[in-house]
Amino acid sequence: MNTAILKYERLADLLVKQTTEGLVRAEKEELNQLLARHHDADPELLERVAAAIVLAGDLDDEALPTALRQRVEIEGRRLVAAKAPTVTEIRPPRRDERPTRTAVSQWTWLALAASVLLAVVGWWPRLRDAVNPATEPQVAATQEPAPVSEPPALTAAEKRQMLLAKGAVVQSPWTATGDPLAPSVTGDVVWDNETQTGYLRFSGLTANDPDQSQYQLWIFDATQDDRFPIDGGVFDVPAGETEVVIPIQAKLNVNAPAMFAVTAEKPGGVVVSEREHIVALAKVAAS
Amino acid sequence: MTESVLKRIARGDARAVAACIDEFGNLIWALARRLSRTRADAEDAVQEIFTDLWRSAGRFDPAQGSEKVFITTIARRRLIDRMRRSAHQPGGEPIETLDAVGWAEPGTRGEVCAEAERAARAVARLRPEQQKVLELAILQGLTHSEIAALTGMPLGTVKTNMRRGLIQVRELMNVVVDEAAGGVQS
Repeated sequence: MNTAILKYERLADLLVKQTTEGLVRAEKEELNQLLARHHDADPELLERVAAAIVLAGDLDDEALPTALRQRVEIEGRRLVAAKAPTVTEIRPPRRDERPTRTAVSQWTWLALAASVLLAVVGWWPRLRDAVNPATEPQVAATQEPAPVSEPPALTAAEKRQMLLAKGAVVQSPWTATGDPLAPSVTGDVVWDNETQTGYLRFSGLTANDPDQSQYQLWIFDATQDDRFPIDGGVFDVPAGETEVVIPIQAKLNVNAPAMFAVTAEKPGGVVVSEREHIVALAKVAAS
Repeated sequence: MTESVLKRIARGDARAVAACIDEFGNLIWALARRLSRTRADAEDAVQEIFTDLWRSAGRFDPAQGSEKVFITTIARRRLIDRMRRSAHQPGGEPIETLDAVGWAEPGTRGEVCAEAERAARAVARLRPEQQKVLELAILQGLTHSEIAALTGMPLGTVKTNMRRGLIQVRELMNVVVDEAAGGVQS
């Protein structure tokens, strides 16, 4: 940890202001862009210095009020217990138009299992009539459901269209950052805050080798610190596709999306991006 | 070695919540009281800070500093954000009455962490005008413009002193470590 990076005047000015009185939204965006260019900068360096200074100061010694403590503890137990599975369950989402056995998610398996169950329940009277009454009902459950008219699963593109048709959703176009992985990326992001669902649509994003790198989405929330955007999931772009649509898998609740950013990361994604390859940005227009 | 409370929280150990509040609740409350306009604001701020903490505990990196510094960083960030949104003076006090808050003498606070002790010694080496702007900005939560108005310094001078002061403290903190390692620290 050193202060050499602070020789960049504007970067240093913004980091100092962030540390002492906070930044307005435009300044936060400017800082993010500067940090993307100076990825060796430590955005929290001065904040940690300020924290140490605060601790060196003459702080009051008053106990946390009991009622407040109880509220904090109840909420804390709920949030911490809820986050346990998400910490260990970061799965690379694949395009859900053509799920493969290796890429399919647990939820997709659950959805498939549920659809099979529903189909079996729906067909049960007909199947029951067709089999020997003495036959165990489990036999019916093993019948191949494919010949029956099972509704086809919606593609991500179709789900995106349905979300758009719902209205009152965020829709922002991608802006290329000049990164060689996406020199002329187009498309958009669609996000519905109510259902916490959304889709990324890209053209011009270079196909990746999942064994070498994967793309990762970050969601900047206006109510949260910009330096720690929400992980929106990792994804792949297969070769030969002119347009891809990818479901967003936000790891935390998004309150007020301000910007979406896509980075290229190591396989499986990262917890904190070094922001070496920011390949596309989509700013949400202020409402 | 005992696992840190933040690491336990990061892996979803709900029992660590109480331990974390036991260890850092009073600190967060003191920070919130210092930088909030009213007691009710401070209570809201404490809940927001802890929510941030539960969500971001996984980012704690002991190589970057102590848990206390990490938590204070999160708390300050939230409090500054609230101050900016509310556009009120911290504590609702007139600026003229804020001088009562200041630095503790290095070595006089038994419970402070090593970083705080080094920061205190580093601040003591700054020029008085740098100490003043850091005190007003960091301990009392004043904006650069408010500090300029209070001290009579031009705004540009306030900003320069702030920037140089912060960077010097960071650099001096390393020097203090080196001196301590060399046995020459007083």
